Amino acid sequence: MNEERKRILEMLSEGKINTEEAEKLLTALSSQGSENIQESFKKEPRYLRIMIEPGQESASHDRVNVKIPIKLIRAGLKLASFIPKDAQVKVNEALHEKGIEKDFTKIKPEDIDEIITQLDDFTVNVEGKETVKVFCE
Amino acid sequence: MIPLILKLRIKKKNRRGINLWLPLFLIWLIIFPLVLLLTPVILLAALILWPTGKGRYILISYPMIFGLIWHMSGVKIDIQSNDNIIYLNLT
Repeated sequence: MNEERKRILEMLSEGKINTEEAEKLLTALSSQGSENIQESFKKEPRYLRIMIEPGQESASHDRVNVKIPIKLIRAGLKLASFIPKDAQVKVNEALHEKGIEKDFTKIKPEDIDEIITQLDDFTVNVEGKETVKVFCE
Repeated sequence: MIPLILKLRIKKKNRRGINLWLPLFLIWLIIFPLVLLLTPVILLAALILWPTGKGRYILISYPMIFGLIWHMSGVKIDIQSNDNIIYLNLT
């Protein structure tokens, strides 16, 4: 019996909570536990996939299938974060000219792992003349 | 893992195109001794440029570039259009 469950039962026996409240707490605890189990079984993504396929209305038959290892993205981002500040400013200026408002000087090496972790849930699915899919697997 | 084989196919309409199967492991056999030989030179350059602040970047980026190459295995780019095919696979 884990600590939280034991504590809920103790509170019930002491009369601090009634049976209904105890049941609610135990249900919440078990659902939280199953989420944690699912989280721990979740596989770390290995590849970032970009797929573009022509739709039914599309005149062109262009197909794109790109597979990039996440480890390569991680290594690339780490390398990019060590680019000297003056060079990063030039990169930012070039991106600004292209209409991309991103400040790469703010990306620190310690942020990289956080970015990669968040990629796990990253999915883009656009359906129009072409079907565009960006996801991790 | 380090990429060992490169498959490259580029095809354009009405042209013969390129169909390449390149054993990268043979290239690495040549490059790695060169990298080892270059290491003292890089360290020296980093030491000389340390007061300017660039030495640190040289020292850090040198192994990072090899980290980047090391993780390139698994890259696959497959682009097909009506007239052109570009296929690159690193395994």
